[in-house]
Amino acid sequence: MSESEYVTLESSDGFQFVIHREVAMLSGTVKNMLSSPGHFTESTEGVIQFRDIKAIILEKVCQYWYYKARHLNSVTEIPHFEIEPEYALETLMAADFLDT
Amino acid sequence: MSRRNRGAAGTTFVNNVRGPTSALTSFLNERGIRRANPAPAPPVATPPENQDDNEDNDDDEPASPPNHTASSSSSSTPAPATSSRPTRTARLTRGRNLPARSTGVSQSNEADGVDDGSDSSDSDEDDDSDSDNKNLIPIAISASTTRAVRTTRSRVAVVVASSSSSNAVASSSTAKAKAAASKKRPRKKDASDDSDDEDFHDITGHITRSNFSHKGRMPQGSNKIVFCSRCRARFTIKAGTTPAVDEDDGGLLCPTCAGTESPGPSKNALPKAKPVKRARRKAQKAEIECQIPSLQDLCIQKIANSIEDVEAFGDISDLSLDKICKIISRNRSLNADTLQLFLDSRHNELTLYDCTDITAVGLQNIAQFCPNLRSLKLKLCGRITNEVMDYYIEHLTKLTSLMLIGPILILEHTYITLFETIGERFEKFELKGSSRFSLKAIKALCDSCPNITHLRLGDCNLMDDEWLEPIAGLTKLKSLRIRNPEPDKLTTPAVVKLIQVVGSGLEELELKGCNGLTDEVLVDAIRPCCVRVERLNLSGCEELTTDGVEALFKEWSVNPGLAYVNLENCVMLKDEALMAVTEHSGDRLEELNLSGMDELTKDALRTLTRCVNLIELDASWVRAMDDDTMEQLVDAAPRLAKVTVWGDHRLTECCSSRKGLRVVGREGDYVDLRFL
Repeated sequence: MSESEYVTLESSDGFQFVIHREVAMLSGTVKNMLSSPGHFTESTEGVIQFRDIKAIILEKVCQYWYYKARHLNSVTEIPHFEIEPEYALETLMAADFLDT
Repeated sequence: MSRRNRGAAGTTFVNNVRGPTSALTSFLNERGIRRANPAPAPPVATPPENQDDNEDNDDDEPASPPNHTASSSSSSTPAPATSSRPTRTARLTRGRNLPARSTGVSQSNEADGVDDGSDSSDSDEDDDSDSDNKNLIPIAISASTTRAVRTTRSRVAVVVASSSSSNAVASSSTAKAKAAASKKRPRKKDASDDSDDEDFHDITGHITRSNFSHKGRMPQGSNKIVFCSRCRARFTIKAGTTPAVDEDDGGLLCPTCAGTESPGPSKNALPKAKPVKRARRKAQKAEIECQIPSLQDLCIQKIANSIEDVEAFGDISDLSLDKICKIISRNRSLNADTLQLFLDSRHNELTLYDCTDITAVGLQNIAQFCPNLRSLKLKLCGRITNEVMDYYIEHLTKLTSLMLIGPILILEHTYITLFETIGERFEKFELKGSSRFSLKAIKALCDSCPNITHLRLGDCNLMDDEWLEPIAGLTKLKSLRIRNPEPDKLTTPAVVKLIQVVGSGLEELELKGCNGLTDEVLVDAIRPCCVRVERLNLSGCEELTTDGVEALFKEWSVNPGLAYVNLENCVMLKDEALMAVTEHSGDRLEELNLSGMDELTKDALRTLTRCVNLIELDASWVRAMDDDTMEQLVDAAPRLAKVTVWGDHRLTECCSSRKGLRVVGREGDYVDLRFL
């Protein structure tokens, strides 16, 4: 089965985020999930469920991935990535889990 | 026009070859005008050459490109420059003219040509023809070869012509180096325009010219330009490398042809440069990547920057809070300020994983903000002082469990006060890395706190046999961990005596690093007394023998079986020991550590299939572990979740695995150490 250009990330409250595969690969955890040698659902169907990450956090994480992908090779000054303080703790936990 | 250049140069060097301009040379010679003659001033010497050009153009090259005139006019411009140096007259002018004509428009080439000329002119001034002859003849090649080469060159001439300017630069750069070695390098400047010449030779049939010029430009000490015997393409042999040789005719092969056949040494030399470049690029990329902070860093920074904001969010579960504390501790961001996040009067338990940056005042705040703590665990708490501990003793009135790792400042009397105050409430005490904890303190503990169920003492320098006597008085002890005493401070008889007293109640026994203990502990103490033990850690007890372990497990019928066995670095144990363990505890075993048991063979490892409930296995450095054994184990133990196999070189990436099973340390795997 050919790999789709997109992967779907599903949050604990049921929201789905369809993002570019290569962007999702910026997360070590997601990368491992998508490229593990076994035939796991994650790697074959490109759908990953995060049972303990809420949508609002997952959205933030996805935003960060795109932010990182965009500025990865830029030589100009990189704008600051804003995190709302009220989500900082949960985002931290999600980021720790996702190795981001 | 360039052909005429060559003619001007060629006739002077090679007497027996008469090119179109050699007639002119002889004419000039007859008139007594010698190029090597220093007497004529540059303005005098140049006009005849320029006249040459025009004549030749008319005769031989009616179809000469229009830029010839431009170049010839440009060639006259350098003349005034050289006139300031009257000694290098004719030669200099010629040298300057040559590249100018051949490359036509390139200013840099022209400059290079001038350099070459000036470099070489000193040696050539006196009698050009003689000395040039001598030098050229030895390197002359046969006419047939030349012809073959020439046809090839004519084919590639167009391509090479475009790169001729770079050639010129390259050759001129080597000119100075070669000047010391051989005098005759003036031809080198011919090399730069040679590619242009070849076309003319083909058309006009003046083969000998190419012969001459090719030889003259053959660099001696550095890169050589040769022609591939197969594809006839021109290629460069780098100095110090050997090109591939064609097996059929013994000719030299260019890297491309050599690559299709057999990799020659020169071919090996080429690709080496690439990985370095790539690695450097990778490093640069990594540097750039580092400029983007990770999301974790951003969050931690955010939290650390705005503690007062974050403090308002207390809805996070204790588990999450503990997680955050772990993350923050790992990032070394736990300090007196961030500590506030974790302090709340509703907490019953508090674990701080890294107190290094927390000041004494900060630590004191713990008791102030969390008066209801029942369990307090402080790791790396080197800054905790006696005053803070006294404050704890006074304010933490519900404390039943205390763990201190590295409390280097706390003195004996504080411990004694602590134990006396907490008294019967005290259930769990863990202490690691204290050199002040003494016999008196342990006596106070055992006298004042009879309800201690968990006692864990590790890395206490003062620990010796005498400590064990008071510990024997703790009749409610369920978990006893004695870790890493000073060598030879704990002896076998004392340990045997202790276990015989408290052993019947123990559920967990750890004697890690008590490397002086012998088999008597197993046979005389553990076997008869420890009927309830489920977790047994004997790691680092190097004196234990196979017979002892076998005797313990084979006749340990009073114990229904262990859930956790750690025999790490019991280096003397052989197959029989493991077989006895699996036979005794087999289906109850959930965690097993065999790390470093190098003597084990496949026979013993095969018995691991008895451990059907195994969840975690550490088989690092058990060299006999292989794919086959692993497969059997994975099939037999459906709950297996983690296998550590560092240094098991017989395990390949083909070894069987399944979802939910983590194999850590397999060779060739990429392992992120943070997930271990």
